[in-house]
Amino acid sequence: MGYVPVKGGTEAIDASIKRLKYERLKGNEIIEIQTIISTMRGMIDQVMSESSLYSPFLAALAIKQAEGSMEEAVFLMRAHRSTLPRPYYSKTVEPETMLVERRISASFKDIPGGQLLGATYDYTHRLLDFDLIDESSESVERWLHNYEMELQQVENFDEVKYFPKVVDYLREEGLFEKYEENNTAPKDITKQSLQFPSTRSERLQVMTRGQTGAVTSLGYASLRGYGQVHPTVGEVRVGAVPIYVGHPDDMEDDYYIGDIKVTEVESFVPTQVKNANNEYELQFEIGYGICYGQNETKAIAMSILDQCLEHPEADFPTHDEEFVLLHIDSVESTGFISHLKLPHYVTFQSKLDSVRQVKKGVQEVEA
Amino acid sequence: MKRRRRTEILIQENGHLAEKLAETIIDVYECKEILAPQYGLTMIKMRESAKNSLFYIGEVLITEAKVEINNCIGIGIVAGMEDELAKHLAIIDAAYKAELPETITWQPQLIEAEKQITKELVRKQAELFKTKVNFETMEV
Repeated sequence: MGYVPVKGGTEAIDASIKRLKYERLKGNEIIEIQTIISTMRGMIDQVMSESSLYSPFLAALAIKQAEGSMEEAVFLMRAHRSTLPRPYYSKTVEPETMLVERRISASFKDIPGGQLLGATYDYTHRLLDFDLIDESSESVERWLHNYEMELQQVENFDEVKYFPKVVDYLREEGLFEKYEENNTAPKDITKQSLQFPSTRSERLQVMTRGQTGAVTSLGYASLRGYGQVHPTVGEVRVGAVPIYVGHPDDMEDDYYIGDIKVTEVESFVPTQVKNANNEYELQFEIGYGICYGQNETKAIAMSILDQCLEHPEADFPTHDEEFVLLHIDSVESTGFISHLKLPHYVTFQSKLDSVRQVKKGVQEVEA
Repeated sequence: MKRRRRTEILIQENGHLAEKLAETIIDVYECKEILAPQYGLTMIKMRESAKNSLFYIGEVLITEAKVEINNCIGIGIVAGMEDELAKHLAIIDAAYKAELPETITWQPQLIEAEKQITKELVRKQAELFKTKVNFETMEV
């Protein structure tokens, strides 16, 4: 059976699009892009991360247009990026260049440089704050003024501090394996479709732009027994890393173009390895997670999945790279699920015909 | 001053100095626009700290502009949608490439701006240290 072209929906579609706009505007309220940027930090970070495009302004615009729908906002961002030229690749961003604003370890309380809580929901009561209903510009201004006065009492430093990595400290002690710098050019999944077996660079690129919920769920599944990785978080750090690009002709000198905020995680995973005497001994490996903005749950879950995929195991779905990498992308998964609501008249008629034929055959036999 | 340090100062300073320096060139020299500010992407290459290998974390939106002064092309690149700043950066880049005498007089202004940026950064970091945990082991 072939496809049957149909028409007649144009006017209905136009009316539907108008209705969509009406739904966004009917409350007669306008939300400014700057308001979204200033107040919806978590949402902006998530949209930038899942769309793999760092731009708080465009993310805020996408959130406004999509009326807060994450999947729609990510789709808009991905669509927009495909219209833009990509004239530059950055120089390698080295993790130790991060200007840290939050940094904690679940493995050691005394880490070099100390634990910096920064801004976190971790220690807040998860109770609705009804005072926010009556929050006014005046009360915000007053709070900010008082807080700034409080900060003036803080003792100043002499210079900017950069934090050493917890894992570097452990590597110096010989507790973790040291790896030489591997400068093999990474593969880019936006230029070439993912092929299996994948490379480490492809896996990390797919996971860092994975849908937060999907990455978190699969990381959780691994912890619950659908995988063999249960780590201790060595370090979670949130901060800004500087981005540099090279001059097209003068490779000696770079352009600084700005900073991006990221969350980076190293998870410590105990593994059994055979030593020189062919005996098993306990060693630690590192699962790595990173994403745009502050999204610690996603970065930790990514670090679990990274370690899972470094050790393929047929018995566990979270150790299967096809299972993980082909199902966590927001646009791919929501797109495919959504397509099911589009007209399938011909295929469904075909299925109906088959069922009718079978039922007719059964009835004839019974007669 | 190297381009790397110069662009760090001009971008972190929020663009006021870039505008001021660029204006001193526009008033005196012919600045031919080769590429009007346009938006594009830069793919960010990162080193991961588990195996020390490289990967792409994603793209960042940039604004890019190109300006020619005395047959020297300057490039302005900045993250975000920053048309004016990109143009000013391109003019300054071209001025340095053309070795215009004005660039020598810019040095003290750039160094002063750098001092202010560092001072502000150190201050912000010190404020964040209010959230540093001071562990005390308790008697059980």
